[in-house]
Amino acid sequence: MIWLAWRQFRAQSIAAAAVLALLAIVLAATGPHLASLYNGAGLSDCHANCIALAGNFVAQFEGSYIGSLYYLGVVLMYLTPALIGIFWGAPLISRELETGTFRLAWNQSVTRTRWTLTKLGLIGLASVATAGLLSLAISWWASPIDAAFQFGGQYTPVSFIRMSPPIFDARGVVPLGYAAFAFALGVTAGVVLRRTLPAMAVTLVLFAAVQILVPVFIRPNIIPPDQIIAPLIAPSAGLTIRGSQGTTGGVLTVQGDFSKPGAWILSDQSITPAGHVFAVPATQACLGNKGQACMNWIARQHLRQLVTYQPASRFWPLQWIETAFYFALAAVLCALCTWQIRRRNP
Amino acid sequence: MIWLSWRQFRTQAIVAGAALVAVAIALLATGPHLAAMFDNSGLATCRTGCATDANNFINQVRGTNADLIFFGGIILLYLVPALIGLFWGAPMVAREFEAGTFRLAWNQSVTRSRWVAVKLGLISLAALATTGLLSLMISLWSGPLYQAAQKAGQNTFNNKIGPPLFGATGIAPVGYAAFAFALGVTAGVLIRRTIPAMAVTLVIFAAVQILMPILIQPHLIPPVQATAPFNANQANEIMITSPGNTITVVGNYSHPGAWILSNKTITPSGRVFTGPAARACTSSSAAPQQCSNWLNSLHLRQLISYQPASRFWPLQWLELGIYLVLAVGLGWLSVWQVRRRRA
Repeated sequence: MIWLAWRQFRAQSIAAAAVLALLAIVLAATGPHLASLYNGAGLSDCHANCIALAGNFVAQFEGSYIGSLYYLGVVLMYLTPALIGIFWGAPLISRELETGTFRLAWNQSVTRTRWTLTKLGLIGLASVATAGLLSLAISWWASPIDAAFQFGGQYTPVSFIRMSPPIFDARGVVPLGYAAFAFALGVTAGVVLRRTLPAMAVTLVLFAAVQILVPVFIRPNIIPPDQIIAPLIAPSAGLTIRGSQGTTGGVLTVQGDFSKPGAWILSDQSITPAGHVFAVPATQACLGNKGQACMNWIARQHLRQLVTYQPASRFWPLQWIETAFYFALAAVLCALCTWQIRRRNP
Repeated sequence: MIWLSWRQFRTQAIVAGAALVAVAIALLATGPHLAAMFDNSGLATCRTGCATDANNFINQVRGTNADLIFFGGIILLYLVPALIGLFWGAPMVAREFEAGTFRLAWNQSVTRSRWVAVKLGLISLAALATTGLLSLMISLWSGPLYQAAQKAGQNTFNNKIGPPLFGATGIAPVGYAAFAFALGVTAGVLIRRTIPAMAVTLVIFAAVQILMPILIQPHLIPPVQATAPFNANQANEIMITSPGNTITVVGNYSHPGAWILSNKTITPSGRVFTGPAARACTSSSAAPQQCSNWLNSLHLRQLISYQPASRFWPLQWLELGIYLVLAVGLGWLSVWQVRRRRA
């Protein structure tokens, strides 16, 4: 049975191995240079002025091929589990059902249940291993960049700290869970729909929806987020005044400075002494370009700043919890499709 | 034949239509707010100080939902052509081969070549319409952001003439969709098996999408070369490597909205300047100004090659043309293959 599973999976595994080898060569060729840039910038043993040094380092690779490789790595980490679900998961059983070969496969000395479990186990293992190797290689390669963003400060259009959504999903152990889940989702879709192409499309849509919904709704609340309330002192540096600066007015909101390097900020609001969120029609003081008058006016409002965040130290706990969650989902889906195959009349 | 094509394509068409409607609702719900912010920022009528207004506007947008939708739109416009190639193109003929239904389909009153040509034509029209509508909606929605970026100068939301934004605005995505679809059909005809054809389509399409902006796009129209005297007091970057004392300097430039292809500093004799660095730049006791003075005394020139912002539409049309020609070539190849093949 193991031999049969391998024989049917040979082409896919060779393709995956070739891609991994190609990627390993590219990363091994460029990784040491990136690490030496990081050490050259003095970031490995900096004590003061780290943010400025990190800014210099980021400016050096941004816009060069290293920047492109960094983004490519993130895209690849998102694509791989989806591709595993579509090309390894969905056709695994639906193709046998579609072409009728299941009649031959299920009438051998091996029972249906064992046939399903062996296929699920072996190819699921290959999926997890592929995603794991990929995550290991890319996390290693990008570690200088991740470390530089960890110092805080704003260098890029989106601040890519590893706690926040685009990067969190592309580092550490979470991709292993995604791969297992995508694979199980694909197999289940195939068993339920019994047709390959619709199963592939459904897998893609469901997986993309989960990938979008989990970071937005579930991840922020897995561990209750920390909160900080502090008086907002208006003339401080880093005060962001949002709202229309034009002539017609509009809603004015104020956002204070917040320095917890590497933290994932979930919300940053200013509240009035009465406890409401501060959002008022822009007053005369803040219209046009009168900076100091506006600051003074804001100072008189006695605002407090309420920040909700997940601190950087929760990176690994959140990674493990999310990985376990996806593995549990994958196990449930696998049980579901084994049960479906057992009870189905061919 | 048209009825048959429609009947076999019905599910896919309904799915695409539903997806377009969903995107349209999301964009309509957020677009007017973005446009109102743009109007309030005074950018539409500004004459002086536009760069400050533009930066204010961009800072207001940054970190809000509009930011996410902007990036989501870019990803969508790269994904949709690939999905069309995978799910509409590759299975079109490959599934008939695989399931054996081609025997029935090709023994009707309609000839084989007409059968392939009609299917190719109708579904590629659907592909063009889908991507065209999507690109139109997203380009309209992001219009304020692109206008602001052009007025703000460097380092903001990027310039839409260079990658990755160039392929996610205007009419270029339409060409990608036509090409991806024809590529999928051809892969299906040649490989005759659906899933390998899908995988091959994905790999080739991704490779073309990565190589095109790197190797071909910059040279579609010969880039503009500009030289200017190098001024060390306004240099973007001065980098000194201690062993060997090499020094590389990168000058400042101001070409709003342009795609900068290269920015080199050359010596009066025309070689790229690499040093060696004088003591004024290496010794820790010297003031930074001494290094700048030494650099200025060398009479370096700055050589910039770039595509100006005004070439956005010519480059878009060229890109569309290239991909459409490729698509027609592939379509012809698959018709010819189906014709000569023994069933």
